[in-house]
Amino acid sequence: MTMIETPPPLPVRDRATAQDRTAGALSPMLRRLAEDQATGVLVREHGTLHLAEGRVVHAESPHAPGLDVLLTAHGTLATAAWQRAAGQAEGPADAARLLLDARLLPEGALELCHLDALYDAGYFALSPSSTPGRFRYARAPRLGPLPSVPVIALERETLRRRLLLHRLWPDPATDSAPLIRADPAATAPVTPRQRAVLDRVDGVRSAPEIARNLGRQAFHTLVDVRRLAAAGLLGPVPTAPAPPPVPPAPPLTVTDPDIALLKRLRDALEAL
Amino acid sequence: MPGIDECLLEAMRLPGARGAALVDWTSGLALGTVGDAPGGDHETTAAEAAELARLAAEHGAFAAGDAEDGGPPVEDVIVSNHDSYHLLRFVDTSFDSSVFLHLWLGREEGNLALARIRLGEMAARLVLG
Repeated sequence: MTMIETPPPLPVRDRATAQDRTAGALSPMLRRLAEDQATGVLVREHGTLHLAEGRVVHAESPHAPGLDVLLTAHGTLATAAWQRAAGQAEGPADAARLLLDARLLPEGALELCHLDALYDAGYFALSPSSTPGRFRYARAPRLGPLPSVPVIALERETLRRRLLLHRLWPDPATDSAPLIRADPAATAPVTPRQRAVLDRVDGVRSAPEIARNLGRQAFHTLVDVRRLAAAGLLGPVPTAPAPPPVPPAPPLTVTDPDIALLKRLRDALEAL
Repeated sequence: MPGIDECLLEAMRLPGARGAALVDWTSGLALGTVGDAPGGDHETTAAEAAELARLAAEHGAFAAGDAEDGGPPVEDVIVSNHDSYHLLRFVDTSFDSSVFLHLWLGREEGNLALARIRLGEMAARLVLG
């Protein structure tokens, strides 16, 4: 009799343990940098966090519109004024100080936009990544005139936002894919802010692109997109062979490891 | 021109003020807090107040007739209980946002009418300078 040896299973990344390790801190490296009161720039796969003395002073992500977009999209600040300030300044914090000194913006409006942009980009910067982050130390700490945020506060808010999205509609596909309108079984009421999003769903643009077009925070757009998806008004553009025209299946199979993670995060948050 | 903290501290100078916060009603995030919060937890209070504010802002029943001008369809939301008032004042910004000022006011010492007028002025000064 011939012995058939089954080959050993291919090595796969153990997602369960990987997720357990990061359950306490979204980025262990970031947590350590905060404890060391480090100053510099943490570059992660989906965004960048600028730290000064261990606090987050600025965040950027390709998925979130920056402070410049939020300020100029609706004419709060003239594009030329921003460009002039940004051209003279070393970074966004410097640019903000120039705008305040020139009395081009009220302090409250600038602080508000800055915090909106920071938490928005921070949400994406702290999303799960497949590559390790890199940190570059900077020489002089630069705590600008704008409010900074403790690392722990940004982490907690990011976890809370993930949970919020999951509760609205547990399928994350609409967060990044091009979106297309769907015919709902029943007409659901659409709020004016959701209407603005829905009007820009064209089968090409994704939620972050719609946010940029609206000059609106990307996370706010994700919230509306998940609500619209839950109402059956839109969905991700189907990839590869078009599936038969069935509505997005309501019975959700909870086998996605992300959902298991989110449940653990929820439990951890509730235990705090 | 006041920043967020100055604005909240000014709200705390109103007679009977117990606590104040600037809250985003889409995410439920408190962008600034001062004083006390019911139950001692600003974070939970912000998330719960945000839910109430969102219902008022987004449901047609509470909006004024011409909500299409881009401004907030609702000016404020008032909740009263046996010992305090909660006053939520929407902040009308020239940029896209969804924030409101939340003032928690003791009922004995507080003057709701005065607080409502002052909070409206503070909301305007915060973003207009």
